[in-house]
Amino acid sequence: MINSFAIIAFAALIHASFQLSVSMLTLMSGHTIGSKSSHAKLLRLTNTFSLGVAIMTLLIFSFIAFVLQQYFDAAVPAIAWASASGLLIGLGVAVWAFYYRRNPGTSLWIPRGMARYLSDRTKSTKHSAEALGLGMSSVIGELIFIFAPMAIGALALLQLEPGLQLIGAAMYTFVSLLPLLMVNGLIGSGHKLSSIQKWRENNKRFLQFAAGSGLLILGFYLYVDKVVAASALTGGAL
Amino acid sequence: MTSTTINIIKREGRRPSESFQRAKLYASIRAACLSVRSPDGVAEMTANNVCDAVIVWLETKPEVTSADLRRKATDTLKSFHPEAAYLYKHHRLVI
Repeated sequence: MINSFAIIAFAALIHASFQLSVSMLTLMSGHTIGSKSSHAKLLRLTNTFSLGVAIMTLLIFSFIAFVLQQYFDAAVPAIAWASASGLLIGLGVAVWAFYYRRNPGTSLWIPRGMARYLSDRTKSTKHSAEALGLGMSSVIGELIFIFAPMAIGALALLQLEPGLQLIGAAMYTFVSLLPLLMVNGLIGSGHKLSSIQKWRENNKRFLQFAAGSGLLILGFYLYVDKVVAASALTGGAL
Repeated sequence: MTSTTINIIKREGRRPSESFQRAKLYASIRAACLSVRSPDGVAEMTANNVCDAVIVWLETKPEVTSADLRRKATDTLKSFHPEAAYLYKHHRLVI
């Protein structure tokens, strides 16, 4: 049980190192402050945005867990773990190579059309409902990167008792939201956006390295723990 | 000068050109200053100073690209308000 919670928490931490939602929150806050909106409105928009991210993360995570449960129930075969490990390792290498673009700023390797659309929508967000939808869209926009940690977290979730699965899903959502909540708190408490954005830009290569390394470490760990060790115990059958 | 005959070529010609509008530049500089929580008066004064400097620079040119205009505005803004200049320069490179 502790092993499953640890895998869920680590997968959520990797998810947390992906930055599209934080970028959109920073951009939206900049435009809201720049248009002289009240602090209450700024807080309303940023909080609703974070709520949108939380809802969509929980929905997608639960959906993946539900689909996997239909296939495997609680007994996840070693072949599924092996596939998931491969996905993690492949994505880890891809994140090392590609996550941030090489130009200045914090532009990400998401399709440019989608980035432009999200950027335009972010700038024109004025109402809480729009901010909620935008938060939800930001999770979908980054699905290509967060799918693997979500799938691993969902596989680990299946190993838990039904009651604990709810706690596991909530924990995944909360941990994956930590950077967003921190930036939300910093903006709400009056920190300058330029300092936040400068910090993000100065540390983007480290964040990229940490995310890629986290994916590789989790991939290798799961392969050894769930595939090699399991097949040694069962005499080699996957 | 609120709008001049100087043509601004937008996105390397992929969008129609338009004449330079001081009000547009003023609004974007003021918003950048406000984004870093500058007081209103400082934001307005900085935006005016930057617009004046950019217009002097524009007077020697028949047409410029929007990227040139942004670069010049950023360089000028940097001397008045470095933090706002940072946001102004990078706001398209956040996502």
